[in-house]
Amino acid sequence: MTDQTPLVRIEGVSKHFGDTVALDNLTLDIARGEFVTFLGPSGCGKSTTLRILGGFERPTTGRVILDGQDVTTQPPEKRQVNMVFQDYALFPHMTVGQNISFGLELKGMDKTSIKRRSDEIMAFLELDAFGDRYPAQLSGGQRQRVALARALAPDPALLLLDEPLGALDAKLRGQVQQELKSIQRRTNKTFFFVTHDQEEALTMSDRIVVMNKGRVEQDGTPEDLYFHPASRFVAEFIGETNLLSGEMRGHDGDAVVMDWFGQTLRGHAPAGAPPEGAPITASVRLEKLGFHASRPETGNAVQGKVVGKTFLGSRMAVDLMVEEAQGATLRAFVDAETGQTVGADPVWIGWDSDSMAVLRD
Amino acid sequence: MNRGNRILLSCVYWAFVLYVFVPLILMILMGFKDSKFIGFPIKSWTLDWYTGIFADAEILSTLGYSAAIAVLATLISVAVGTWIAVLLEGRKFWGRTAIFGMTVLPALVPGIISAIAFRIYARYLGIEPGMGAIVWAHAVHNVPFVVLVVMARLSTLPKSQLEAARDLGADPIIAFLRITLPYLVPAILGASIFCLLLSFDDFVRSFFLGGYEPTLPVLIFAKLKSGMSPEINAIATVALVLTAAIGIWAERFTRRMNKDTKA
Repeated sequence: MTDQTPLVRIEGVSKHFGDTVALDNLTLDIARGEFVTFLGPSGCGKSTTLRILGGFERPTTGRVILDGQDVTTQPPEKRQVNMVFQDYALFPHMTVGQNISFGLELKGMDKTSIKRRSDEIMAFLELDAFGDRYPAQLSGGQRQRVALARALAPDPALLLLDEPLGALDAKLRGQVQQELKSIQRRTNKTFFFVTHDQEEALTMSDRIVVMNKGRVEQDGTPEDLYFHPASRFVAEFIGETNLLSGEMRGHDGDAVVMDWFGQTLRGHAPAGAPPEGAPITASVRLEKLGFHASRPETGNAVQGKVVGKTFLGSRMAVDLMVEEAQGATLRAFVDAETGQTVGADPVWIGWDSDSMAVLRD
Repeated sequence: MNRGNRILLSCVYWAFVLYVFVPLILMILMGFKDSKFIGFPIKSWTLDWYTGIFADAEILSTLGYSAAIAVLATLISVAVGTWIAVLLEGRKFWGRTAIFGMTVLPALVPGIISAIAFRIYARYLGIEPGMGAIVWAHAVHNVPFVVLVVMARLSTLPKSQLEAARDLGADPIIAFLRITLPYLVPAILGASIFCLLLSFDDFVRSFFLGGYEPTLPVLIFAKLKSGMSPEINAIATVALVLTAAIGIWAERFTRRMNKDTKA
């Protein structure tokens, strides 16, 4: 695939339900073969976006372009888009085979082609043994695979997935995450995945769009979002983080200088630096804080007292109080051995300016 | 619950069972009595009443007539009722409550009043008393039951089912025929059986709207006027066994279907 034009182009799409704005002027391209995840809390507009792409909702304003064609007003049955529903929506009165063939029949394929295609997709998803069973006779994980097979069978240009892992137990979910990612790679299809689970998003996606109140909060790779969150919302929503409230002081080369209760710290500003003197919040991931016996030569450093430890197996979460910063607290992940040795004496805590992001509020 | 309460409760229950079943059992017993007069003691037993009714052309043709009316009325009420249910369920439009109310009303009007009203209306429209008029009245009376049963089932159809069908290329009509209708089958079957029994059992409407040919309840009524005899018990027993068998079978069948097709 060398086609560089975007598969989906969402142009200034808004959706209003009465007085509530579910989606506020969304503009976004989705590349071919991309696994893009819309992540956010309920009511953030992620499901509305999915339903607009599927044709189940019509945008109040804006256009949706699919493969160069304006599909804004096209009904679902005309679109080359298929969906895996949250509750799977398997047809209970049809066998697995009939469920999978349903979309093929309606495409007007002849009997032999339908048989060939549904056999192929069932073999691909290891469902061969279940062709004659009814959905009620399957386990949750099997149903999920049937839903996926049914949606993939008509060979859609875009596959929509509406929190399809929500109904699975934790252990199975991890396994299915790997499976989904590998299916996406092998089929080279464009997946549009919607979830409120940040871990799910980080594991599977090529690209994550974090949504909040109908708007895009940040759009980037999982690594980008995790280590360089642009806003407080993203930093808090994805993973655990230390939030440092302070005041903007100025620039030092590429770095941003801030004051944190009398301590001068350096960070970077992925979303652009605020004006001098403005109140700001910075985020440092727990695992980016390192412990040192003496003040480290480079980067940020403060001295802290250990006030609590939580053993987490492979690592330990250590809570520290920084007296010089008016008793503000920080939390750090260290390996379990280091965690055991720190204690009574104050330690030096150090981190790079690259690992601290100054956030948009 | 303590022991005393439990005993009291089971006494009340068995008293109720006796109250319901004793008349039926007496009715069945008397059908086997070898005497023209109903009452104890029963000195000897016979199957003559039964062989009698199965040899009686009038009774057999009446049975067929009643069955034909029931089947026709049921077909009409199921078609109309399902259609109304699909139009009403899950939609909001102006006048919905009023339409729903009017749909259900025929089930609540006392039989005698609706029978008289039908009689007057039929005469006004120039409809002759007879099978057509009876079928019409039965169908109107049965529609509400179909609407209620089908609407109840329809309200449990997840919205995602139809969306999935649309998503896979079905237009709204194909989605209805291939997803909604199969989902409604248990409800439609259940409602059909109920309508069949209601119609088969109806006396008042059939009496007011009938022509010269009586339905089974009307025939029994006519025979009662000329005096009680074990022949009537035999006819009633046959009708009881038939309707009970259909009812029990339908109940089990729809229950199984409901279970099988749970999403």
